[in-house]
Amino acid sequence: MSESTEKPLLEVRDLAVSFFTPDGVVSAVQGVSFAIGRGRTLALVGESGSGKTVTAYSILRLIQPPGRITGGRILLRSARAGDIELADLGEEDELLYRVRGGLVSMIFQEPMTALSPVHTVGSQIAEAILLHQKRTVKEARELTIEMLGKVGLPLPSVYYHQYPHELSGGMRQRVVIAMALVCKPELLIADEPTTALDVTIQAQILGLIKTLQRELGCAVLLIAHDFGVVAQMADDVAVMHRGIVVESGDVRSVLKAPQHAYTRSLLDALPSRRRPA
Amino acid sequence: MTGGTEGTDGRPLLSVRGLTKHFPVMSRGFRRSVLATVKAVDAVSFDLAAGETLGLVGESGSGKTTTARCILRAIDPTAGSVMFHLPDGRTVDLVKLTAGELKPIRQHAQMVFQDPVSSLNPRMTVGDIVGEPLVIHRLARGEELAGRVAEVLARVGLQPEHSRRYPHAFSGGQRQRIGIARALIMKPSLIVCDEATSALDVSVQAQVLDLLKELQREFRLTYLFVAHNLDVVRNFCDRVAVMRKGRIVELAPTAQIFSDPQHAYTKILLSAVPSPDPDVRMNFNVGDELAKLDAADQS
Repeated sequence: MSESTEKPLLEVRDLAVSFFTPDGVVSAVQGVSFAIGRGRTLALVGESGSGKTVTAYSILRLIQPPGRITGGRILLRSARAGDIELADLGEEDELLYRVRGGLVSMIFQEPMTALSPVHTVGSQIAEAILLHQKRTVKEARELTIEMLGKVGLPLPSVYYHQYPHELSGGMRQRVVIAMALVCKPELLIADEPTTALDVTIQAQILGLIKTLQRELGCAVLLIAHDFGVVAQMADDVAVMHRGIVVESGDVRSVLKAPQHAYTRSLLDALPSRRRPA
Repeated sequence: MTGGTEGTDGRPLLSVRGLTKHFPVMSRGFRRSVLATVKAVDAVSFDLAAGETLGLVGESGSGKTTTARCILRAIDPTAGSVMFHLPDGRTVDLVKLTAGELKPIRQHAQMVFQDPVSSLNPRMTVGDIVGEPLVIHRLARGEELAGRVAEVLARVGLQPEHSRRYPHAFSGGQRQRIGIARALIMKPSLIVCDEATSALDVSVQAQVLDLLKELQREFRLTYLFVAHNLDVVRNFCDRVAVMRKGRIVELAPTAQIFSDPQHAYTKILLSAVPSPDPDVRMNFNVGDELAKLDAADQS
């Protein structure tokens, strides 16, 4: 998928995830494969229940029991830490802590899920720096304020001391982006980062992700259900349906000349493509 | 702003004039003095013809939901009038009616809510939820009630046996159908849809919108369609009112709003919509443009 001949940053091969519930085994992801090149953006598109979020969570090994990765491999070719086989890492593996929030970080649909309500936004970002980088408390603080400014918070040194509930949804999402990017990850996973936001705020947040991505050179795995957001953000697309990737390719060919019937049906359901009834 | 809205009998179904809702901002502490007022809805006027669909769009905080709630008197407006044309030929001002006078009129104006989880009582069966309005208004009971519930459930695409189940057993799209059935059973002339399809996946959203269109043709319904998704409004509404800071900044036929927006805010709003065509670039720079507009408001 990458334009150059270098090997992709992330390679997911035949990933399978099942949930072992008392009522039976639910196979949420059944053999998903895709790759993301360095600095590229891949969008995983699908409706609720298609397995896109489970796939993203698997990369960070966030699948909780009764869920379990039952097969496949997730290879991260980190420039800083070498090749890491994420699917094989143990729960307590030191490397996993380096990956989470360091090499790979994540922003969520609802920013409050990622923010602690009882800590100031500044201290939460500084904590991430202290966990992943060898910095003093003072340096972490300065770096945090710099990052808050970068994501567009006015008066970052004032915002440093505010609590998440004092911020609007758009501002909270900016804080989460600051937290995710402050350790300069090689891969950013963005799970529906703008679904809960107004269209004008969405435009600003998407623009911010693009700008910072370019600046840091990180790759983005964008989880989305909105083809508009996908078309504007992604280089490549993988369409998921019932736990498998039904179609993938570069954004233009998939959106303009979809090959699979499911992709076509999704595109036909777009309000902008429908003729008035 | 109100041209071309007459119904077949020459009168609009709903005529809103100068609708205003102010919320006081109280000081902290014991004395609770009023520091300022927030003009959530500020002199909103529009007409709604019978059988028409008017989209009310705007961002969160623009006052679109407050406007809808004031019209149905879910909250009491500060000022203005809402003339509502009843099926018996009378026209009443919903703002002036007492709670007692309002009750019999409520059956003609119903609401469908955004969140199909919180708007359905989890401890009531679907049959009880859908039939409840008829019970409250004492319009049907016993066999007749059960019959009408079954009929309306069938009409929105649900099975008769669904009436014995609880809301949690249904998907988001089915739950929204339950909400529509509950509104429809009153045989209303006006339905206010407050972000009725916002929580749904795109293919489910398309099905629910299709259902609403069919029902509109069949029962000659009039919709006030509150939404933030401009794409949905574009294909669903006859006319669109764009709200910003409690005011309607532009009201025009849908095609005109999208092809030839007049107000600067409408233009910014439309430019921020991500196009599903990768070759049509969206405007990522709306923040600066909105700031300029705000600055122009101040001066």
